[in-house]
Amino acid sequence: MKTDDLIDALAAGIEPVRPARLDPALLSWAGGAAAVAVILLLGARSDLTQALQAPTPWLKAIYTAALAQTAIWLATRLGRPGLDPRPALFALLAVVGIAVAWGGIETVLTPPDQRMAGWLGQTWDICGRNILLVSAFAAPVVFLSARRLAPTRPTAAGLALGLATGGIAATAYGLLHCGEATAAFVATWYTLGVAAAGLIGAAVGRFALRW
Amino acid sequence: MGCCVVDKEAELKRLMLRGLDGDPVAWRALLTEMRGALTPFFKRRLTGCEADAEDLVQDCLIAIHAKRATYDRSLPFTAWAYAIARYKLIDHFRRQGRRHDVPLEEASVLLADHTVEDGVVRRDLKKVLSILPLRQRRLIEDVRVGGFSLAEAAQRNGFTEGAAKVSVHRSMKTLVASVNPNED
Repeated sequence: MKTDDLIDALAAGIEPVRPARLDPALLSWAGGAAAVAVILLLGARSDLTQALQAPTPWLKAIYTAALAQTAIWLATRLGRPGLDPRPALFALLAVVGIAVAWGGIETVLTPPDQRMAGWLGQTWDICGRNILLVSAFAAPVVFLSARRLAPTRPTAAGLALGLATGGIAATAYGLLHCGEATAAFVATWYTLGVAAAGLIGAAVGRFALRW
Repeated sequence: MGCCVVDKEAELKRLMLRGLDGDPVAWRALLTEMRGALTPFFKRRLTGCEADAEDLVQDCLIAIHAKRATYDRSLPFTAWAYAIARYKLIDHFRRQGRRHDVPLEEASVLLADHTVEDGVVRRDLKKVLSILPLRQRRLIEDVRVGGFSLAEAAQRNGFTEGAAKVSVHRSMKTLVASVNPNED
């Protein structure tokens, strides 16, 4: 095709557009997919209705939802060519920093003989694996929600989308299934699970996010 | 060069914003401008396979069109377009299986490639000519830049041909002296 004809064709078909972002409807679908995956694959905790009346599951959810939110912001900035992603990156690291500090303070205030039990809980060895499992169901929808963006660094954008997926999955997992209640546990094992989802996202994004 | 790039940026951003609102005339003008800027940009960076430059230009124009919603209105247009052009260049090298570093440059190189010769010469010429009285300046622009014959230029500016000849001669002397201050 001649470049002149191409320009004519493109200009003839132009329509007004809104600024591109991750599709919010698809992101809600990702949240729904994560909740369904938790209930079907892992099962809801037996004391769900009582547990959700206490503040602890919601505090966990605030942390993991903040991870998802800042990761979504990071992915959006990475998906707009020429935009500096660092403000979003700093926000994401600040969220992790606050959780780690909270977990550290809580551990220091715990009697020494109970610290290890609080940190490892009952499920430290399966927490990350479960978050990854749930992420696998939410991830396709999250990646699909980014299709209007134009990431000039596909690996970094994949990392951000992976972290967002992990944050969404961890929120569903923390509210519906996991009974762990210490800040040290959440700051360590949830964070590691979300980080692992981010790394897988980076590997996928390297190929899937090219345009 | 600085002022031309700034002017160009303002013009392109204006076209971009109108394009985002769906104005086909502005969009056509923007794509045409970008074609002019992208062609030398890619040719210069594809030594040995300049034939690919045309494909990359088309690829980039399609990307500018399809991904126009990713433009952040608070950013210079050039920063956005440069990031796209650089991405397409990296992607091109990767598809060829070539490891190739594409250094991160100032976004303004996208316009600089296009305007560096034209722009600098035109601006310098304008600056130099500005020392002449208006009527003489128009005459010399017509003869030396506009490509008119002395007779035509004289008529356009209300000189007799003889007077025009003298005026051009004097103007050239003034201009040469102004550029080479040592020579007087």
